[in-house]
Amino acid sequence: MSSATDTELLALHGLAVKKAGSPAAVAVVVGADEAEIESALEAAVAAGHAAGAKGTFMVAPAGREWLDSRYPEAFADFRADPAATETYERFEKINRELLALFTDWQMIPSAGGERVPNDHSDADYDTGVIDRLGAQHERAERVLDAFAELEPRLGLYKGRLDEAYDKALAGEHEWVSGARIDSYHTVWFELHEDLLRMLGREREEAP
Amino acid sequence: MTAVADRAVVLDGRTVPSREVVGNKGRSIAWMLSLGLPVPPALCLPIDECRRFHAAGGELEPDTWSSVLAGIAGLEEKLGRSFGGGEHPLLVSVRSGAAVSMPGMMDTVLNLGITDEVEQTLARLSGDAGFARQTHCRFVHQFGETVLKAHLDEPGPDADPAGVRAEVRKDTGEDVPTDPHEQLRAVIKTVFGSWSSRRAKAYRKHWGISEDGGTAVIIQAMVFGNLGEDSGTGVLFSRNPLNGDPEPYGEWLPRGQGEDVVSGTHDPLPLSALAEAMPAAHEGLLTAAKLLEREHGDIQDVEFTVERDELWLLQTRAAKRSPQAAVRAAVDLCEEGAIDRAEALQRVTPEQLASVLAPRVSEAVEAAAEVVARGIAACPGVASGVAIGDSDAACEAEGDVVLTRPTTSPEDVSGMIAARAVVTERGGSTSHAAVVTRALGRPSVVGVGEGVTAELLGEELTVDGSTGVVYRGILETEEVDPASVPGLETLIGWAREASPVEVVADVGEGSIDPDAVGTSDDVSTPEGARAAIKAGVARVRKLPGQHEAALLLRFAQEKSNLEQEEERS
Repeated sequence: MSSATDTELLALHGLAVKKAGSPAAVAVVVGADEAEIESALEAAVAAGHAAGAKGTFMVAPAGREWLDSRYPEAFADFRADPAATETYERFEKINRELLALFTDWQMIPSAGGERVPNDHSDADYDTGVIDRLGAQHERAERVLDAFAELEPRLGLYKGRLDEAYDKALAGEHEWVSGARIDSYHTVWFELHEDLLRMLGREREEAP
Repeated sequence: MTAVADRAVVLDGRTVPSREVVGNKGRSIAWMLSLGLPVPPALCLPIDECRRFHAAGGELEPDTWSSVLAGIAGLEEKLGRSFGGGEHPLLVSVRSGAAVSMPGMMDTVLNLGITDEVEQTLARLSGDAGFARQTHCRFVHQFGETVLKAHLDEPGPDADPAGVRAEVRKDTGEDVPTDPHEQLRAVIKTVFGSWSSRRAKAYRKHWGISEDGGTAVIIQAMVFGNLGEDSGTGVLFSRNPLNGDPEPYGEWLPRGQGEDVVSGTHDPLPLSALAEAMPAAHEGLLTAAKLLEREHGDIQDVEFTVERDELWLLQTRAAKRSPQAAVRAAVDLCEEGAIDRAEALQRVTPEQLASVLAPRVSEAVEAAAEVVARGIAACPGVASGVAIGDSDAACEAEGDVVLTRPTTSPEDVSGMIAARAVVTERGGSTSHAAVVTRALGRPSVVGVGEGVTAELLGEELTVDGSTGVVYRGILETEEVDPASVPGLETLIGWAREASPVEVVADVGEGSIDPDAVGTSDDVSTPEGARAAIKAGVARVRKLPGQHEAALLLRFAQEKSNLEQEEERS
C-alpha cells in the first residue's frame, strides 16, 4: 500500500473493519503500535472522522466518506495487481464453503431433515465439522500467505484465525462462530471486510 | 476374523475384534456380521499396520501390500467380481478407522478401482451412462481432494472424468492414478499418513490422546443401488423419528445410489413401495432393524442398499430425533424393558424437554394474525417487539425490539444482541444474519425481500423463526399441555422422582438461596446442577425463561452421573 505511513488511514481502516473498538483491538487488526493508533484515532475524532467514548471508537459518517475517497489511491497497487484478484477468488471459494460450514456447525439436520440448533451432543457430527474447518483453515493459510506477499499486514490474520481454530479444536465450541468473541467466524468476517475495502468491492450475501 | 497372509484381517463376523485392533468402524462391521446381518464384505489393515507404516518411514512394507492383494482376491471370490476390470467389476471404498474418531484423519474415498473401461462396463450393467460417469467423477474428485489436497468445486451432473482430472492437475500439478492398484496403494498410504497430520496431532495433544495409537484401514466392497429395476437405496428408522411412534419409518429410492437419498435431489418413496416391489428385502430390513434396535437399546437409523434384489446394510447409528420423539421413545423403550429408568432419563436432553414445553403461538391465534412478511426461517423460536431499522437505535431503545435490516454486517452485532428477534431482506440460511442470530439464540427470519422492512418500522411485530413468518402485532403464546405429548407426563414424573433438588417458582419460606451455599452457578448447566447437588441444596428457584421440568431432568441426570462416577472410583 502506497501510504503505509499514513497512520490515520490505517487506523480508520482498521476501525472500519472492526466497526467499533478500542485502540488495542484496532492495533491487533492492522499490526501497528497501540499508542500510535490511539493518537491517530484521537486525531480522527478531532477531524470529525470518528467518534469515541471511554476508549471505544466508531467511524463517523464523514470518516466513511473520507475512507472511500482515499481508498482508490491508497490501495491502487493492490487493486491493479492481478495476483490480488486471483488470490481473492481463491478466498471467495473458501468463504462460500466456510459460511456453509458455520451453518452446519450451528444447525444440525434433525429427524425429518429440517435443521435444528446444534446442541453439540453428537460428538461425531461435531468432529466432522471441526475436521472440515481444519481443511479450510489449511487452505486459508495458503491464501493468506499469498496475500501477505502483496500486503504483509494481511498475514496477521493467520495468527488470529489460528488461535480461534486451536480453541475450537480443543473443544471450546463458541470459538467456531461465537458472535461476541474473536471466533473463527468473527476474524474471517473482518478479513473479508478488510479485503472488500482494499479491493473496492461490494459484499455479496450468501445464499 | 481370519488373517490373510498375516497382515490383513478379513471382517467376516466369526469373531469381533476389539476396537483397539481394528478401530471403531472395523469393529462395527464385524459386529453386524456376527449378528448374521448382510453387510458388504470388507477387510481391514489393523492399527498395528499404521505403526509399522510409520516405523518404515511412511512406506507400506511388501508383506503388507501382498496381504492387501490377497484380501482383495478374497472379496473378488466372495462376490464373483474382479477389481479393476472384467465383466463384473469390483469397486471398493477405503476408510480410516481409529479407536477414537478425530479431526484431521483422512475419512473416506469411494469407488476405487474405476477406470475408463470399468466405467463403460458399469454403464452397460446399469443401463445408465450418466451414473457410471458420475461414479468415475466422484472418485477422481475425492481422490484429488483427499490424497492430493486439491481444492475443487463439486463436480456437476455434466462433469466428465477427464475434465475433473485436468482440474486436479491444474491445482496440484499431480495426476490421479488410472491404475486400480496404484489408486488403492495411494489411498491406504494417505490414511496411515493422516494419523500424523498436523491437525490430528494437534487434536491428540489437546485431548491427551496417546501418540502411540494409530488408525486402521477398512477396505469394503461397494454395492450399487442403480443396477436396474430391482435395485435401490434408502434409509430405515426402527421407529418414527418425528413423533416417536413405535413403527418403522423410512424412505426408499428405486434405482438410487448412496447420497441421492440424503442430498434431497430425488424424491424418495415411502417404505411401503419397497414392501410391494421386493417383499423379501423389505422383510429382511425390518428384521434387521428390530435386531439392531434391541442390541443397541435405542432407535436405529439404518442406511441400506438393495442391489439386484439383494439387501445390504451399509451403516447403523442411533437415530436423530425430534424433541417429541426423544420423549416418547425414551418412555416407550423403558416400558418395553429395553432400557432402565435412569437410562431413559439420559435419552432426553433438558434442551429437548424445554423445546417440547416452549410456549408457542396457537393455531387459532396464528390463523387470525396478519402476516406482514415471509422469508427463510434462520433461527427457531418466537419473539416480539417494536421494529427498529438501525442497530444503534436498537441498542438504545427501551423495551423489546425486533431489528429489521436490509442485510447485516459486523457493526450490527451489538444491535442483534440488544434485539429479541431479527428480520433481514436479503440473504439465506448461511448469511451473516443467520449465522450470528443462531450464535446468539435470537429468532430470525431472513430474505423477506427487497424493501419489505422499511414499511414495518415502528410497528409491533412477532417473529416466528421456526416457520419463517413475521406477524403484525404481539401474538399471545400459550403453554403446552403435557397430556398432549405422548410420554411427556410420564417422563416429567420420573424426573421429579429422581431429582434430589426441588424446583420452586419463588423463593419462599424455607427455600435455599443458592448463592448462600456457594453454588452461584447456573443450575441449568451440568456443572451448576452438580455443584448444587454436591452442596446438598434442597430447593432452587427457577429463573425467568427456565422450565421446571428441564431443571428437574438436569438434576436427575447429574445425580445419576455422580453415582456412576462414584461407583467407578
